[in-house]
Amino acid sequence: MSTLAVAESGGGVGRASGFARTWLPAALVFGIGLLCWQWIFPDVLGVKPFLLPRLSDVLSALWENRDALKTAAWITFKEAFGGLILGSGIAILAALVLARWRPLGNALIPYLIAANAIPVIAFAPITNAWFGTLSPWSKIVIAAALCFFPVLVNTLRGLTSVHPSSIELMHAYACPQRTIFWKLRIPAAMPYLFTALKIAAVLAMIGAVVGDYFGGSTESLGVQIQSAVALSRYELGWAAIVVASVIGSVLYGAVALAERFVIRWHPSVRAVD
Amino acid sequence: MINVIKRVAIGIAVLVGVCAFYTGYRELFLATGWTWPFEVDDITLPSLPSIVGALFDPVQEDGELLISLLFKAALFTAKEAFVGFVIGTIVGFTLGAVIARFQMLQRGLMPYVVGSQTIPILAIAPIVVVGLGSLTIAGWTPSDWLRVSVISAYLTFFPVTVNTVRGLESADPRAIELMRSYASGEWAIFLKLRLPSSLPYLFGAFRIAATACVIGAIIGELPSSIQGGLGGAIINFNQYYVLNPQNLWATNLMAAALGISFFLVIVIAEKLLVHRPPETLT
Repeated sequence: MSTLAVAESGGGVGRASGFARTWLPAALVFGIGLLCWQWIFPDVLGVKPFLLPRLSDVLSALWENRDALKTAAWITFKEAFGGLILGSGIAILAALVLARWRPLGNALIPYLIAANAIPVIAFAPITNAWFGTLSPWSKIVIAAALCFFPVLVNTLRGLTSVHPSSIELMHAYACPQRTIFWKLRIPAAMPYLFTALKIAAVLAMIGAVVGDYFGGSTESLGVQIQSAVALSRYELGWAAIVVASVIGSVLYGAVALAERFVIRWHPSVRAVD
Repeated sequence: MINVIKRVAIGIAVLVGVCAFYTGYRELFLATGWTWPFEVDDITLPSLPSIVGALFDPVQEDGELLISLLFKAALFTAKEAFVGFVIGTIVGFTLGAVIARFQMLQRGLMPYVVGSQTIPILAIAPIVVVGLGSLTIAGWTPSDWLRVSVISAYLTFFPVTVNTVRGLESADPRAIELMRSYASGEWAIFLKLRLPSSLPYLFGAFRIAATACVIGAIIGELPSSIQGGLGGAIINFNQYYVLNPQNLWATNLMAAALGISFFLVIVIAEKLLVHRPPETLT
């Protein structure tokens, strides 16, 4: 979206005012959003605290429970991060294998896409039975399973998205298959891979938090949310969700940052600068 | 026709392959006694015949068969997911159309619509479902399943909004100029040009949403006392997992079938309605 805005404001408009035009509406909406959360929802519209507690109440719950939330955030972050690495790693390896045997990969892609429609998170009780409810591995494995299909499908698409004329050119230069793979297929797959990793970063976080709803360590973020809701301490529940959102955004941001370094040459990244 | 037969044949081969892998893994680990990464026995990985057999056993003494119970639960969850899907699509499309119409709104709102995808939205399911339970609007309280639909609607709404904006803006500018030169109103341009050209994008969103609304419905059933659906069945069978692990596995297979069915309905609808495939859709 920001690419679009920058391109539009480029024509004849000064850089500073272009910046203001791009970001002012967003900043305005942010301010209005906070105002609504703090005053307009609870006072004017009468939104009850069990739906969305006042912003200042959520913030003070965040501050009062900072130690418990910090511990929970660290446990859940480790689970999500482990799941992201494990799931994406296996998916990338599988994509490399399937891209090597093209007919197999092409035949399997529709089924992999359909498998992506399986509500994997519902299998969390089973990983609990495998590794024990309190073990972090039950959450890591479910987070990894959530990441697996999107990363596999996108990486495979990327590896097979090379333009045929590029391959012909490489053949004309008598390049061996291995060179084509390293110089052509891997770079072509990178934008697809990073798109998938960004999705997977959020999915891993969902796996770690929602996996807890089926049972988990009492110190973890998901169980904290669940017990806060059970005790009608909604502001604490929302505070924990704010923490989960921040971790999700940080994971997402880390992948987006890595993307900008790894595929600097790609138009979608260059246009942002 | 040959294509269809080929597809079905590959589908069966994939299914057989998955079953063979599961059984092979189970037998290998049982035979060797390997315990890494987890111990394999009849509780952690119940045999396939026992899972299928459980489907045709009564759940309680002289009660109804598991398969009929699960079928009813799947229909219940499907109802929640479908209603959520429809609500989410209507809200998402309307918001997307408004955002696409006004540049300022787009700059103001789109960063947050996109940014909201970095938030584990599913995590708020228990809070919203439990919270809505104590809501009364003029003496009317939303019924249990409708509260769960709100989660499905919420998960549907985001991808639909984003793709509606992208789709409505994907109309060929030359075609828009042509219609303007014929003095067509904005409304006619919207109906005859923008809406048709947004269809491929809309279906891209529907594919994501079809999966998400089923997940939302299952997770939404967890915290509350909503027993009729698959989420309730999962919680229920999870408590008796050590006694009857097959029941939970069978429930999860039913959940997987439901998710895939929703997805396939969208894929088939897309084949029927969209004749021009888009160049790139995720």
